[in-house]
Amino acid sequence: MGAYIVRRLWQMIPTLLGVVLLIFFLFNWVGGDPALVLAGKITNAEQIENIRKQLGVDQPYWYQLWVFIKQIVTFDFGRSWATNEAVSNILITRVGPTLTIMIPVLLLETIIGVILAIGVAYVRGTLTDRITMMICTVAMSISFLVYIIVAQYIFGFQLGWFPVQGWSDSFTKNIVTYAPLPILLAVFVSLAPSLRLYRSFFLDEVNQDYVRTARAKGLSEKTVMMKHVLRNAMIPILTNVGISLPGIFVGSFLLETFFSIPGLGREILTAVNRSDFPVIKAATVYLAVVTMVVNLAVDVLYKAVDPRVVLK
Amino acid sequence: MRWQVRKSPHDWVTLLFAIFALLALQPATLAHAAEKKTLKIAFRAAETGFDPQKIEDRYSVGICENIFDSLITYDWLARPVKLVPQIVEAVPTGEEGGTRFTFRIRPGIYFADDPIFKGKRRELVARDMEYAIKRFRDPANRSPYSWLFEDRVVGLDEFVAAAKKSGKYDYDVPVAGLKVIDKYTISFKLKEPDYTFIYFFAMPNVVPVAREAIEGYASDTMGHPVGTGPYVLKEWVRRSKIVLEKNPDYRGHVLNAQYADPADPWDQEAIKYLGRKTLPLIDRIEISPIEEEQPRFLAFMNREHEYIEETPFAFVPQLLPNGKLSPEMQKRNMRVFREEAPETTWDVFNLDDTVVGGYQSQNIGFRRALVLAHDREQEIAIVRRGQALAAQSPVPPGIIGFDPTFHAIEQEYNPARAKALLDMFGYIDKDGDGWRDLPSGAPLKLTYKYRANEESARQQAELWAKCLADVGIRMEAIAVQFADLLKDRKVGKYQMSGIAWTADYPDAQNFLQLLYGPNTNISNDARFKLPEYDRLYTQALKIPDSPERDQLYREMNRIIIVYAPWRLGVHRIFNHFINQWVLGYKKHPILFTSFKYLDIDAAAQKAGMQQ
Amino acid sequence: MSAVLTSNTTAAPIHQASPGLWTLAWRRLKRDKVGMISLVVVAFFLLMIVGSYTGLIARNWSKEVGVSYANPSFLAGAVNLEAAKTESREGAAKIPYVDLSDIDPLAPRYKEWEERTAKIKVTETPRSETLLFGGDKWGRDVLQKAIKGAQTSIFVGLFAALIATIIGTTLGALSGYLGGRVGDLMEWFYNVFSSIPYILLILAFAAVFASSPAMADFRGVPMVIAILGLTGWTGIYRLIRAEFIKHGSREYVKAAEAIGASHGRRMFVHILPNVSHVCLVQLSQHVVQFIKAEVILSYLGLGVPVDAVSWGTMLAEAQSELVIGKWWQLAAAGISMAILVTAFSMLTDSLRDALDPKIK
Repeated sequence: MGAYIVRRLWQMIPTLLGVVLLIFFLFNWVGGDPALVLAGKITNAEQIENIRKQLGVDQPYWYQLWVFIKQIVTFDFGRSWATNEAVSNILITRVGPTLTIMIPVLLLETIIGVILAIGVAYVRGTLTDRITMMICTVAMSISFLVYIIVAQYIFGFQLGWFPVQGWSDSFTKNIVTYAPLPILLAVFVSLAPSLRLYRSFFLDEVNQDYVRTARAKGLSEKTVMMKHVLRNAMIPILTNVGISLPGIFVGSFLLETFFSIPGLGREILTAVNRSDFPVIKAATVYLAVVTMVVNLAVDVLYKAVDPRVVLK
Repeated sequence: MRWQVRKSPHDWVTLLFAIFALLALQPATLAHAAEKKTLKIAFRAAETGFDPQKIEDRYSVGICENIFDSLITYDWLARPVKLVPQIVEAVPTGEEGGTRFTFRIRPGIYFADDPIFKGKRRELVARDMEYAIKRFRDPANRSPYSWLFEDRVVGLDEFVAAAKKSGKYDYDVPVAGLKVIDKYTISFKLKEPDYTFIYFFAMPNVVPVAREAIEGYASDTMGHPVGTGPYVLKEWVRRSKIVLEKNPDYRGHVLNAQYADPADPWDQEAIKYLGRKTLPLIDRIEISPIEEEQPRFLAFMNREHEYIEETPFAFVPQLLPNGKLSPEMQKRNMRVFREEAPETTWDVFNLDDTVVGGYQSQNIGFRRALVLAHDREQEIAIVRRGQALAAQSPVPPGIIGFDPTFHAIEQEYNPARAKALLDMFGYIDKDGDGWRDLPSGAPLKLTYKYRANEESARQQAELWAKCLADVGIRMEAIAVQFADLLKDRKVGKYQMSGIAWTADYPDAQNFLQLLYGPNTNISNDARFKLPEYDRLYTQALKIPDSPERDQLYREMNRIIIVYAPWRLGVHRIFNHFINQWVLGYKKHPILFTSFKYLDIDAAAQKAGMQQ
Repeated sequence: MSAVLTSNTTAAPIHQASPGLWTLAWRRLKRDKVGMISLVVVAFFLLMIVGSYTGLIARNWSKEVGVSYANPSFLAGAVNLEAAKTESREGAAKIPYVDLSDIDPLAPRYKEWEERTAKIKVTETPRSETLLFGGDKWGRDVLQKAIKGAQTSIFVGLFAALIATIIGTTLGALSGYLGGRVGDLMEWFYNVFSSIPYILLILAFAAVFASSPAMADFRGVPMVIAILGLTGWTGIYRLIRAEFIKHGSREYVKAAEAIGASHGRRMFVHILPNVSHVCLVQLSQHVVQFIKAEVILSYLGLGVPVDAVSWGTMLAEAQSELVIGKWWQLAAAGISMAILVTAFSMLTDSLRDALDPKIK
């Protein structure tokens, strides 16, 4: 186990290098000139040259790449070119609001998804099952943008159940006042696909031999579902949660822009618009690391849940 | 058994609904400080920071207006705008033929208390202004407004060059044209006469700063503004929330009613509510940037904000049918302040381009045909929802040098004239594909670059594509990220693109410099170079505002119409909607915020917000 | 209990059946009522886009036939504040035009110009107060736009999914079948792609296409397809790789090896047909996914160009229309998209069930 983890960690280095190269290539080859964004509406060649020099973008590419790698090793990405704010500070302050939305979303989505899935799996084939799945499919097929626009207008404005937008410094106020509508929207959108997936996991298990054996033993259907099927179906479910876990750090820029949530997704969008390369670099590297670490953790956890899994 | 099990999913559903219902019932509460007068508003875009010499965007500069004091400022009510002293004794007139400007700062102006001053009161002196001017040119600050003091002040360019050579930007080295005469007096000497120079000192970012504060907070000057103005930055969550509070050390200011218009109800209301009171009256201002139109508008309609400035055009016809407040808005006791903004939009042609550029009759004819083909009335009606005036020259109304009689047929939509002109110069369909070709016979396809994720820019591109198709010209519109668009325009890698310019100061020169030949690669994105225009431009700089200068401006405007480096767009009209409890509201065309001259009826606010 | 079993009775082990996988699947699909209805709906949409592609319908979608935000015919007579003429600035028209002739290089040809102008006739088409399902801000017919938009959106979804499936399948096959060094390389590539936040990938690719001169002929709809296709293949890769690992060790592949089939032959002639149902299901799932993703691209301003229309650009345009009560564009694009996507998803489900009867 220990050796496995060490090897997996070791393997992260080439992947990270690949991420670095790809992002560096994409944004350096074609990206806008950050010096021009910063120079202002009236500027001259000398001024632009000076800014380029300060940002280090006048250096040869290999040198810039070397600086980038040094930044990763030292965990110091410097300051935002656009606002002069420390990049680490940007990421730290932005990830809080994003998680405030996304953790409840993931939890609610998983819990409600599993509960509903086990319910419809139990009544599989009945009208309830079919109607539920039908509703899910329809709900999935509407664009997230439409949900946001319509919900903000109806629930935020017409009915006034929620504030239209906003964010505060207090976590309690956020979670009680500002976060519920975005969270509900995100859950509503992601619930349907999860429910469909989880249902199929349950149905996979229902037809397994061990379930038949359990039934043959005379266990009630309820016991079979809750004890046997649920436990076994949890493995693919957890895997699925694991896959979507890194995504919660990025958040949804659509939700964040419409509801004025100062989160990471919106920040990345702004950074790209402003050619704010330090922020782009740092966000990419940190998120890549988070993704890889979470994936590893899920694999290890997987092993813990299911001893049959061989880690290789 | 079966019945029981069948029922359980139903229970879960019930439970779920209960949870949803519970969440849904959470009331949208808004905290209010009862005793303090608090103003809440939204900005249309995020700020960058509050180091006056390092910023350019109007939102950040707008905040600086309230934290810092410029030497002179605009009278709040006077229209057309008028310069008045703010912390100096008088507005200097250009002496020595418009090359010397001397300011005498009033003694007894103090900076707001800040830990950096270690408990001592810090008085504002002339050195602080000298320091600020030098900061504009310090390469380390990469100031977007460094152009204000480039190639103007005697000795300053040499000082910067020497600093560059030695590698040390030494603020203690004196500059001849930037002379601190005594503790409170600073005198500027210019290389050439320039009567627009005085306006720079009314800009909210050309303000004195305390050197010890800048150096003490060197790592984050953007987040630690220390000024002499009526407000201090209380809290700042970047790109999410800005909180200003009254500066307790502030000396106070009063509304000057001398230039008020007796027929203007806004002026009269301002006098009534602000009268001879010591200002400012608002204790706390909370600003949040909301970039999307729908939430910004709905938040205001939900009474989360005191007023909404620059209401998105899309919503205006509903709120102001036929120019009058809608019944719904009347019921809410809403008022609207309409502002003809001191800004111009236009579509620029790249004069260095082989297709749309050039100065031959044929090139001029082609550009003029494009101008005539563009249906500006539709731009105003659809893209701007009627909230704009057609621009007749680059200079917007309200700006010194604006000529209300200037009006050219060559900027009036006329597809027949456009077609005739294209036919005349041989831009006809030669290969029979239904599209016009170049006189040489090569296919003609124009490109128009516009800013991605800006809906109005896309609509403008859409209109161009349609209008040009109507006269038989093919056009491709390319959406580009903001940074790329700036780059392409600066280096001349484009054919056509849309731009807007807001006045830095209220003089036509600020707009006409956009076509001055030597400003190519600086601000002249059209890359327009015409000796006659340049000659008139430099000549106009040397004389103060006068009929003689207006004549020069008129000549330049005629050249612009003839050579058509631009398709002139519009001057937008902004609608600011105000809740009834906001008292004495007025919007200044050049200054960005109104916080300094405003009051709130706290009781009415409380009642209104609770509705 | 019986309810459970009925759904299973159709299950038949594949290798025993004499008719092919596809024939069997079609038979099963025909019995699936929901699947068939969905198929009809999807076929209807496909027919519609063929019609609009060939210009039989919605050819005049870009013509401005109505007033701004013309009312839908079922709301005829409702107040339309947006179409009201804005009062033009009084006075401006009365001022004489400035004389330019002394400096104008075109001045010598003023007369010729005038004569030519007089010969050109300009006709103004009248604008209708109402349109069948309302008009957009330019006065274009929303219904026609939705039909034309369907064409673009489905086209984008299909081709992007095709590209993603081809990339995902090829890489997945190579990685799963060959393993070893090649497999490691592919895994590395996959890891790199899936570690970068999707939104950043999309924006970066969009920047490549928008500003690189090499891509100049590739802008517009192909660009949207390429962005989606090139960034959306990772999920397919994962699945196909697993399938190829599974099949690589199967007996039939070993047998093919024994008779001397090359690696390429074994991969694409022997194994691929056996995993093609996975590809097909993935393909159709991605069509749906990309049709939805196109909306987000349009919201970011990176969607189809201004001379085309898609559901995404319609929705992006309609953002502020709900608030002013002009809900029809939002509804037209939103509902037609919802119908197609629902039908397509259900068809995909039925297809999966038909192809892989073990899962139900």
